Amino acid sequence: MKSDKIFKYLLFSASFLVIIVAAGMVFTLSSGAIPAFKEFGLKFIISNQWNPTEGRESYGALPFIAGTVITSVIALLLCIPLAFSTSLFIAEYFYKKRVAMFLSTMVDLLAGIPSIVYGLWGFYVLRPFIVELGLSPQGYGIFTASLILAIMIIPYATSLSSEIISMVPNDLKEAAYAMGATRLEVIFNVILPNARSGIFASFILAFGRALGETMAVTMLIGNSNIVPTGLFQTGNTMASVIANQFGEADGLKLSSLIAIGLILFVITGLINAIGKLIIKKLA
Amino acid sequence: MKRILLLSVIIAMFAACNSGTNNSKKSDDKKSVAITAAGATFPLPFYNMIFKKYSSESGTLVTYGGIGSGGGIRSLKDRLVDFGATDAFLSESKMKDLPAEIVHIPTCLGAVVIAYNLPGYDGIKLTPDLLAGIFMGEITKWNDAKIQANNKDLIMPNKQITVVYRSDGSGTTNIFSDYMSKISTEWASEIGVGKSLNWKTGIGAKGNPGVAGTIQATEGSVGYVGSEYAFEQNIQTALLKNAAGNYIKPSIQSISASAQGELPANTCIMLTNSSAVDAYPISGFTWLILYKEQNYNNRSFAQAEATLKLLDWVVSNEAQSSASKVNYAPLPEKAVKQAKEILRSVTFNGEVILK
Amino acid sequence: MSSATIQYNTRSDYRKRKNRLFYWLVIAMSAITVSPILLIVYKLIIQGYKQINWSFFTKVAPNTLEAMTANAQGEVIPGGILNGITGTFLIVVMAAIIAIPVGIMIGLFLYENQGKRFASIVRDISDILQGVPSIVLGLIAYMWVVKPVTHGFSALAGSVALAIMMLPLIIRSTEETMKMIPTSLKEAGLALGVPYYKVILRVLIPTGFSGLSTGILLAISRIIGETAPLMLTTLGSSAVNWDLTKPTSAIPLLVWEFYNDPNMANLIWSSSLFLMGFVLVLNIISKRIAAKQNR
Repeated sequence: MKSDKIFKYLLFSASFLVIIVAAGMVFTLSSGAIPAFKEFGLKFIISNQWNPTEGRESYGALPFIAGTVITSVIALLLCIPLAFSTSLFIAEYFYKKRVAMFLSTMVDLLAGIPSIVYGLWGFYVLRPFIVELGLSPQGYGIFTASLILAIMIIPYATSLSSEIISMVPNDLKEAAYAMGATRLEVIFNVILPNARSGIFASFILAFGRALGETMAVTMLIGNSNIVPTGLFQTGNTMASVIANQFGEADGLKLSSLIAIGLILFVITGLINAIGKLIIKKLA
Repeated sequence: MKRILLLSVIIAMFAACNSGTNNSKKSDDKKSVAITAAGATFPLPFYNMIFKKYSSESGTLVTYGGIGSGGGIRSLKDRLVDFGATDAFLSESKMKDLPAEIVHIPTCLGAVVIAYNLPGYDGIKLTPDLLAGIFMGEITKWNDAKIQANNKDLIMPNKQITVVYRSDGSGTTNIFSDYMSKISTEWASEIGVGKSLNWKTGIGAKGNPGVAGTIQATEGSVGYVGSEYAFEQNIQTALLKNAAGNYIKPSIQSISASAQGELPANTCIMLTNSSAVDAYPISGFTWLILYKEQNYNNRSFAQAEATLKLLDWVVSNEAQSSASKVNYAPLPEKAVKQAKEILRSVTFNGEVILK
Repeated sequence: MSSATIQYNTRSDYRKRKNRLFYWLVIAMSAITVSPILLIVYKLIIQGYKQINWSFFTKVAPNTLEAMTANAQGEVIPGGILNGITGTFLIVVMAAIIAIPVGIMIGLFLYENQGKRFASIVRDISDILQGVPSIVLGLIAYMWVVKPVTHGFSALAGSVALAIMMLPLIIRSTEETMKMIPTSLKEAGLALGVPYYKVILRVLIPTGFSGLSTGILLAISRIIGETAPLMLTTLGSSAVNWDLTKPTSAIPLLVWEFYNDPNMANLIWSSSLFLMGFVLVLNIISKRIAAKQNR
């Protein structure tokens, strides 16, 4: 039908728009990053030097790559069990009950808090807590940053997961119960396989959020431009260094920061691809 | 579904209608001239206050965004703002990057204070050598012999020194490092001057509140904080020995004293390590930058005139007298005179705008 | 404990115990998840409630002198965040107008073209976009909108940056929601000869409305608190502004100003409280609508 064709074409053009936007971004970032790559070559990616002193400028992205990957992975690992349990609570165990509505609203609230406020809360509440536990002298560090990231990404993983889990067709579940399955067995043998795609998508969204988070991390990670060697050491992430230095940067430094933005783009793609491959293998 | 679509179309039309029309009732009867500027965060509270006053009294809306000196310079370079604001004046080479000649207008003075956290030990005196030693990680304890020798009236505690610095690029770091490079050859060769540095020791915190907050939460810590922020907080500040040999406490008066020396015609000078008797050694101007020839990018004469009128007001007595109320030091007379002269050299099509 | 010491009468006993254990584990984990939220909300309320009064919503942001004198006298800081509220409203609505239709369309496209090469590429790109730091998107909008289109900082540029941030969330949640709808519904509609687009609009979208609105809500929550991209695109403003082509304030920008100002720290908490309250209201509204649809 004609209207069908038009509609399908409309959907196609919308999707094409995304590709254009992404390509445009890569182009803009690359042209900004060229001076840095011309100066340092590909060694930029593995160099752990970050010397902004005029006359001796030398920039490298390694400390930030390490910091970003480590904090995001830890945050995701912390988030997965919590988000999964909470979405089960909301969508399965206590579905449509008052307590689940309350929990779901509370979790959604987390998403609405500005990241700068997370940073402030982390600074005034979380950091002294870590100091009290004796884990770190000032409370800054990879662990603190990962912790706040985990809290920040929980709503992304939980919201979508619980929606997906609640949409698993009832007849499938009832069939399993009719055969005498326990709740646990229904969850792992019926709901999970059915909702696997959606749950995984929610974790990808959460992970992406963690990779790109700026403000909260920058206030808690300690901002030292070194590759961290311990969980409670300070470090820095790509998004954080861009946010910190962007306002005052120019010339080679600006180009290096844009190059880091480009690298983040690439790394996000790589990690997503690896994750999807792992899931495919596990399936 | 349809209702949501209808609602969004209405809102879109509403928003589109407003494009190109005035937003301020007062400027309805005047030509719709609005001034936009961006730049340094250091003078942000001061600028917000005086620009707001100017907007409501003159009817010309002034918008200022504290996005950082780099952002301000970039915006001026891209000709997206009427003027930029920067804590560090542009060197000859940096000025070449801009498409046309610019002028610097100083607006006020600020300083960098050395804040620390040692309850019960107020008024610690530090010499330039001690400062260099502490911030380069060579002096690591508060009861180090060198610090003790300089503070004979206190019994220094046996505490670890934790240095706190700015993790974000900042004009405060620039002024601080400029001073440190002047008083320590080791600093000049190892660390140098800049808005962000390759620190040898310490932890980084974001913004003045970050540094001040970390210092307040960590006993034994020491760091540098912008005066406009520090004066409002209850933090301990050190007395610094200036070039004339006196120990000076940071205050509006001692900051102003550092600008009493000679000023170059273009006002581009770092005031650190001033030789004036009562000067606080880590002080500096902050500037506004604009193009010398105002007819660019289809600018109207009215726009250029409005910009200059605003800047003329900023260096006038009315605006300057409110500076000290919010912990900024006003410009000394010499600087005001020079600023006004520079403003009267700004042209539109070659003709001077302000008479 | 080894299984030798636990006496299981039957295998079903063992399964029942495992089931019970998991149940309590889920409850414990959910409690842990809620605790930071409660702590944060508590802190926001305690620090912020004093500043929330009528003028909070009707006056523009105060300057530092007014705040200083109020602090010195132990009074509530005068003024409010009206310029931020109107600015955020303008920017977010515009971003939503851009992102929601486009996002849903792309989500539908991905749903209709499962397994096709082109669709996988689009999906992967959408996931990558999620990870771009907001400040980089601000830079992109600066290059694409501020410089060439509006020749100056503008609300529109901010909306564009935020719209790009919203897209991946809406796309993914739309696609996944559509996938969970039994195909029998779609096929029934098509079998009756209903044109494809009508099936989408009249059958699938209403059925999946709850999931779609979750994605939209998440996307709005995500962008409403963003500071960095707005700094590079809308700059800020001390007055209320409804013009899309001019600089505009926004609540997160005001929070940034309050952070850097020594006298206005109290306003940070109250502004955040407001943002959170707004997200809460959006949340409740969308749940009500979803409940109505599901009747």
